[in-house]
Amino acid sequence: MTSLKQLSSILKSVQKPGRYIGGEMHSIVKDKSEVSLRFGLCFPDVYEIGMSNLGSRLLYHTLNSDPGIWCERVYAPAQDMKAQMEKHAIPLTAIESGEDVKEFDILGFSLHYELCYTTVLSMLKLAGIPLLSKDRAEDAPIILGGGPCAYNSEPMADYFDLMNIGEGEELLTDICHLYMQMKKDGSYSRAAFLRRAAAEIEGVYVPSLYEITYKEDGTIAACTPKYPDVPARVKKRIVKDLDKAPYPDKLVMPYIETVHDRITLEIYRGCIRGCRFCQAGMIYRPIREKSPETLCKAAKCLFENTGYEEISLISLSTSDYSRLRELTDLLLEWTDDAHVSLSLPSLRLDSFSEELMQKISSVRTGGLTFAPEAGTQRLRDVINKNVSEEDLLRSVRIAFRGGKSSVKLYFMNGLPTETYEDIEGIAHTAKRVIDANYELPREERPAGLGVTVSVACFVPKPFTAFQWEKQDSFESLIKKQSYLRSCITDRRIKYNYHEAKVSFIEAVLTRGDRRLAPVIAAAVADGAYLDAWDEGFDFDRWMRAFAACGVDPAYYTTRGFGLDEVLPWDVIDCGITKQFLLREREKAYKGETTPACSEHCSGCGASALGGKTRWCK
Amino acid sequence: MVQVKNLPYLTLRFKFYKKGALQYISHLDLVRTMHKIVVRAGFPLWYTEGFNPKPKLIFGAPLSIGCESDCEFLDVRMVERVNEAEAIAALNRNMTADMQVTEAYYTETKFSDMAYLGYIFRFSLLDGTKALPAIVACLEKDRILIEKMGKSGKDKVMKTVDIKPQIRSAEVYAEGEEICIRAILSADPASFLNPEHLVSVLKSECGILREQNLARESYFILRTDAYTKDLSPFR
Repeated sequence: MTSLKQLSSILKSVQKPGRYIGGEMHSIVKDKSEVSLRFGLCFPDVYEIGMSNLGSRLLYHTLNSDPGIWCERVYAPAQDMKAQMEKHAIPLTAIESGEDVKEFDILGFSLHYELCYTTVLSMLKLAGIPLLSKDRAEDAPIILGGGPCAYNSEPMADYFDLMNIGEGEELLTDICHLYMQMKKDGSYSRAAFLRRAAAEIEGVYVPSLYEITYKEDGTIAACTPKYPDVPARVKKRIVKDLDKAPYPDKLVMPYIETVHDRITLEIYRGCIRGCRFCQAGMIYRPIREKSPETLCKAAKCLFENTGYEEISLISLSTSDYSRLRELTDLLLEWTDDAHVSLSLPSLRLDSFSEELMQKISSVRTGGLTFAPEAGTQRLRDVINKNVSEEDLLRSVRIAFRGGKSSVKLYFMNGLPTETYEDIEGIAHTAKRVIDANYELPREERPAGLGVTVSVACFVPKPFTAFQWEKQDSFESLIKKQSYLRSCITDRRIKYNYHEAKVSFIEAVLTRGDRRLAPVIAAAVADGAYLDAWDEGFDFDRWMRAFAACGVDPAYYTTRGFGLDEVLPWDVIDCGITKQFLLREREKAYKGETTPACSEHCSGCGASALGGKTRWCK
Repeated sequence: MVQVKNLPYLTLRFKFYKKGALQYISHLDLVRTMHKIVVRAGFPLWYTEGFNPKPKLIFGAPLSIGCESDCEFLDVRMVERVNEAEAIAALNRNMTADMQVTEAYYTETKFSDMAYLGYIFRFSLLDGTKALPAIVACLEKDRILIEKMGKSGKDKVMKTVDIKPQIRSAEVYAEGEEICIRAILSADPASFLNPEHLVSVLKSECGILREQNLARESYFILRTDAYTKDLSPFR
């Protein structure tokens, strides 16, 4: 353990030393002699990103509510601090105790984005923990992963002892309890613990207990459990009733500014839409809502304990919450007087109304963001985005009339079946938004109109209808990006786009298999760290790593996966059936849409997971 | 929403310390943090008018990262009178041990009346006995020049500035293993001297604190008091 006093000259020389000091209001410090399990909740990004993560807030609260467990936060040091730590042999420590995480029982990493993999390995290195699961000694912490990337964590399979598939509130508690029980009765050994966890706890995937075989053409032949008590497929774990799920009444109050420095209120899980490119819309199914009463109580309590004057109602598509009007009315009963404003990210174009906008702008004003995703109706039907240009124009008219002067539009390049006409459509759509403003009577137009077009690159993701698709090559994506630039002629339209090379690496990792493990280690050895940041990402470094390991990245991207191929993530059962995804894929190519769960059940399979759902048949 | 215009207010001044780990929190982050603390404390706050109503918090002289302080001031505007002792308790419940209020009183004086700030610098050095005369000599010079970013018209340029006139007094002494300086520096906004500037002069001229290290050499700065122009305590 290195004390803050010893670190003083280093803290005075790095950027934002407030990231490393801890001691925040509501951070939880326990007496280590009175707990039986030390848990490190590791977020593979810097403090201000990790502190904003809702999942981490939930799990911190859940685990610490158990008196036998002390859960502490661990973040990735920024580049400058990492250099100092390496130079002076300072190990990775937890925020609360300042103690080496190497001494902990379990380290749980949040795998929220594929490009955080190199940061995970770097954190293990800083902690002095062997990277490979098989090299870890009996007394090393159990290294566990969870979050959206855990649904296909195969590229990281060699590095993790255990993967959490699904929602962590109950799953992680079960894992901790098994660990404590085995430690107590003396039956604990790494192997015995992992085996029992895999066999007894639903939602536990222990990669080392599966054998992967390959065909001659390099595709996967099979993924077979090594023992009969290990499940052939690992079923996702969900929280059945969200109204009864633990929700924090306090938040750790960061001293420094974080990216989402506000109260985040999760209103439901899952999504009724079924956009064919969207992984979150599938893996978080079935849809489970919280009641307005539960939410309002939680919000009031959080406001009193935090002093935050902004409450963000979050979910995958906030305006699809079936009781949104009730909830906002209930909240507005006290929020205005308390000078608290509501923000509703993830609004859909087809359900945006004047009334809703009045509610969210009652205290503070800001811009609005909409996501048409594609530039033509044809392509929007292919991806099942079920919104029309008229929806968009109607929404922006409301926004303009309500005094909003900035509108942000999200699109994607490289979607299956995309043509140059679809790209031109993006420019036309943005132009029509500008025109909509000028069609309003002069006195209703906001001053200083600005439209931002933000274009991401399509990455085919596991557990989506597009999971088999070829990814556009980055040369093609770059060509499309510059074509779109040439189509946007209006100076009032600001154009942003994602780096195609980043999306390429993301695509490799998201559909990757175990043969990518050495590539990630090679990139780390070559200095890869905080790849999710522009200044951390180095495409050439990744290409060097692929070459050094003899791995062709195109196998995972532009090749496309065969419909009958064994997919690296087939070992995971997230509820959504392959038959459903195949059906959706077929409909995509026919340009047919699928209605939302609220209109018609499309039989995705997630209802088999159970849970108190509103729409499932 | 109907906003009642021009509500009268009372200014409650808090004196607090900010020490230990909290020396690494910048002034801007302190402002943000304090904002939430006063909301949590449940005070009858006076809010600014307009589109984005905020409680009105006014801070005394900003404290730079790496400085501790026994002498920070915060003015909070209230729409009704709050008992001072209760106000202290309400704030302290909502702050951590490294930052606590020591005094609260209603006031009408302004922070612009604060002319000087007192500091204690403590240096743990590898060769303190050798450094002491060098530090004394450096501080006794007629001119103490530092390079700092300044403006020339619109451009930012490096400027050489003499900070000697901003040092009201400085006394160097040894205390155990440490070399200390007790200094009174200008707090006037036009000639405010950041105590870190004094440290950087000593670093470059006395050969101390050359590299980051683990507790081999270190320094600590503590702001101790605030004074008016005639060196009487600021309140």
